[in-house]
Amino acid sequence: MDATLKLWAVILVVGALNYLSRLSFIAFFARRTMPPMLARALRYVPAAMLTALVLPMVIDVTPQGLHPHTPKVIAAVIATVVAWFKLGTLWTLGVGMAALWLLNWTL
Amino acid sequence: MLPACVGLLPFGIVCGVGAAAAGASWLTSLGMSAIIFSGAAQIVAAQMVAADAPFLVIVLTTTVLGLRLLMYSAAIAPYLKPLPERWQRALAFMLSDQVFAAAIRRFHIDDDRIAAGRHFLGSGFALWLAWQVSCMLGFFAGNLIPAAWSLEFAVPLCFIALVAPLFRDTPSILAAITAGIAVLALAHLPMRLNLIAAGLIGILVGTLADLARERWTPR
Repeated sequence: MDATLKLWAVILVVGALNYLSRLSFIAFFARRTMPPMLARALRYVPAAMLTALVLPMVIDVTPQGLHPHTPKVIAAVIATVVAWFKLGTLWTLGVGMAALWLLNWTL
Repeated sequence: MLPACVGLLPFGIVCGVGAAAAGASWLTSLGMSAIIFSGAAQIVAAQMVAADAPFLVIVLTTTVLGLRLLMYSAAIAPYLKPLPERWQRALAFMLSDQVFAAAIRRFHIDDDRIAAGRHFLGSGFALWLAWQVSCMLGFFAGNLIPAAWSLEFAVPLCFIALVAPLFRDTPSILAAITAGIAVLALAHLPMRLNLIAAGLIGILVGTLADLARERWTPR
């Protein structure tokens, strides 16, 4: 498939599916409650999916094994603590970036 | 709302850089940020297109990633009931991680649903606009940012800001740990299939832990 065409197909289909998910319980199932099993499973989507997304950005994996970039790992742990105490996105970003710069500079 | 817009700026810039790296034109990059309007889905889609993953695999992975929108939709729906349908459809379009977090807080403290809905619409649109600007900024000016700034690290940090506050109950922590181990252990899978596999494993473990907790909690 032509690369530009493929990208547009991805944009339109993913965009439509995203919008349908956003609209789901607001419009289509507005009069229904969510099946309890589905509600239970969906509760763990952010914890599982976002963690799976974050880790490979902090730890490089090559066929030879794991290559944790030490400053990134430490900065990510510090940012996790900041975010855990619900200090907000800006603090998490600021402290995380500052920690990375400082560690890159000293280590 | 301003802090959220500022916080999204580096994230959007990195998304724009990612789109450029995946070979997108400025128009497709704008299409991604305007239509998909989800940093996580944009980054994953751009990476997978760049890796030449098949169309269906890209759609499947971003759909699992987008399952959390289903949860946001269900959580916010009761608050939107008194609003006109037209508003509901517009608000649904802006429902993203950050907008959801801001809106649900507002609906909790504000009994005036119409005013809170207006606030949702306003803040959602402001974030949407800030997102387009920052993605375009990244697309055009991303290569001017020195590599030594490690701006790409802003992306995991934005996700950490969303996910770390969830690590408060055992099932969530177990879901995160298993998904984390799985994504690294399965990193050799082609087409970034490790992401969707790890996500599903984590969701399954979290759900089972939740069921087990309910079963064995003395009442």
